Amino acid sequence: MKWSFLPPEDGDRRYLAVNADEAEPGTFKDRMLIDFDPHILLEGIAICMHACRIDTAYIYIRGEYHAQAKTLQRAVDEAYEYNVFGKDSFLGKINSLAPHCYIHRGAGAYVCGEETALLESLEGKRGWPRIKPPFPAIAGAFARPTIINNVETIAMVGPIVQHGPDWFKSMGTQRPEDAPPTVPASFGPKLFGVSGHVNRPGVYEDELGIKLSTLIETHCGGMRNGKKFKAAIPGGIAMGILGTDQYDAVLDFDVGKKYNCLGLGTAGVIVMDQDTDMVAVTRNIIRFLAHESCGQCTPCREGTTWMYKTLSRIEAGDGTSKDLDLLLELAGSMGAMPGTTICGLADGANWAVRTILNKFRPDFEARVRKHRYVSLSTAGVR
Amino acid sequence: MAWIVKNSAAAQIDRRDQPYLDQDLKTHIETDVLPRYPTKRAALLPILHAVQHKHNWIPYQALEEVADFLDIAPAEVADTATFYEDFWLQPKGKYLIMICQSITCELMGQVNLLEKVKAKLGISVGQTTTDDRFTLMTAECLGSCDTAPVALVNESLHEKLTPENFDRILDSLS
Repeated sequence: MKWSFLPPEDGDRRYLAVNADEAEPGTFKDRMLIDFDPHILLEGIAICMHACRIDTAYIYIRGEYHAQAKTLQRAVDEAYEYNVFGKDSFLGKINSLAPHCYIHRGAGAYVCGEETALLESLEGKRGWPRIKPPFPAIAGAFARPTIINNVETIAMVGPIVQHGPDWFKSMGTQRPEDAPPTVPASFGPKLFGVSGHVNRPGVYEDELGIKLSTLIETHCGGMRNGKKFKAAIPGGIAMGILGTDQYDAVLDFDVGKKYNCLGLGTAGVIVMDQDTDMVAVTRNIIRFLAHESCGQCTPCREGTTWMYKTLSRIEAGDGTSKDLDLLLELAGSMGAMPGTTICGLADGANWAVRTILNKFRPDFEARVRKHRYVSLSTAGVR
Repeated sequence: MAWIVKNSAAAQIDRRDQPYLDQDLKTHIETDVLPRYPTKRAALLPILHAVQHKHNWIPYQALEEVADFLDIAPAEVADTATFYEDFWLQPKGKYLIMICQSITCELMGQVNLLEKVKAKLGISVGQTTTDDRFTLMTAECLGSCDTAPVALVNESLHEKLTPENFDRILDSLS
């Protein structure tokens, strides 16, 4: 847990920032949580503030969530009224702090969902991710120790405190006995937001380790119009793709290593049927990332735009087979994992392009012209 | 794209005598917004939201007034304001239509919807109708993929759109 990284108290302020800047395409679980149960989030915030001796919490909610910001504000007002927060807080009587909880609205920048960019935005600056270290737990918002957690994480705190960790661990998948320590255990329930070509899209809560096929057939009523499954994005567009033969993929935190994609991400599953044009899908994903790149690191700023131009060219039928290799080369050069950018936005572009191209190469091959080598002599040069 | 900058060296700022950041807003900011944050600059985003809510957009004169009010440089305010796409530094129509163009919405028929709306309003993306009623924009994921395609009209989200039902929604706006 991130909470344990906090340094010992030095008497000054510490902050909690709740990340409700949910902008990953395919992800809408936080919106559901805020719409239907904002108080479970506030309960988690109060517990976290008490446990870590924090007196100020900010909920960073994205600018496009107008209705959700109002819902949340009403819930916070109610919490103040019942002395959960405020100077007469019942928590304050135990730990002699006066906990406050404020809502901070973003203004339409995907990159502010990155934790250090969120802090910059909270401080009234442009949302540029910071270089780590120092990590936010040491020097975060206003250069003070800060905990940043997602809405879903904080909302889970209350139920875990109430039912105990054993209850939480009774769900999900165990780590195999002989697995190396790099394989994560996947305990607990998870909100899967399924969208795309299924009969009943929506948010479904189930244990981690559910099969993709079960999720689609049992919860979502199967594929729309009886079409065949072609591909699925396991968790937000930045996480790569699951191919046609990975319909039975087990969705847990180890999904990345098992099925050659980046990871489970936000568990926002986007399902695509047999008629989907994978070139258009890739172009859309890269258009999004090119549009939302903050422009701080060159490989991301230039690379995403370059890839977008190349993919648009391929989609229009003007691409050559060299373009596919160019895309792979570009993709491999950008991201925090190759070590060329500060945050992980470019990794998303990297993995999305690489996995789609590797798993659906024939779709791309069919759209590009074969590159023909023209020798000087055949071109008429002597 | 947040990082595209325009040459503004010779830009003229339209001014009016009446301040945009009037006493009402200042009182609201001093009592409700500033106490929440340890630094003054942190109140910038909420202030810009408040100014935009009141005037429908944020004129450059307002940016200067905000800078004055917060004791920071106008360039710092402009730096933040230009980064975020929700802040309008030029006038927009009474209704801002933002059609989601991210992947799920595109899979579910956003392209067709956008074309129909463009044809209906007679404008392309980024433009405002001549009667200043509608501004058409595309948006990146609005976080409602289960009901795709979706569009945001000012502050209300419209879901499960087809060209026909969105047509009716637009007609019902005064």
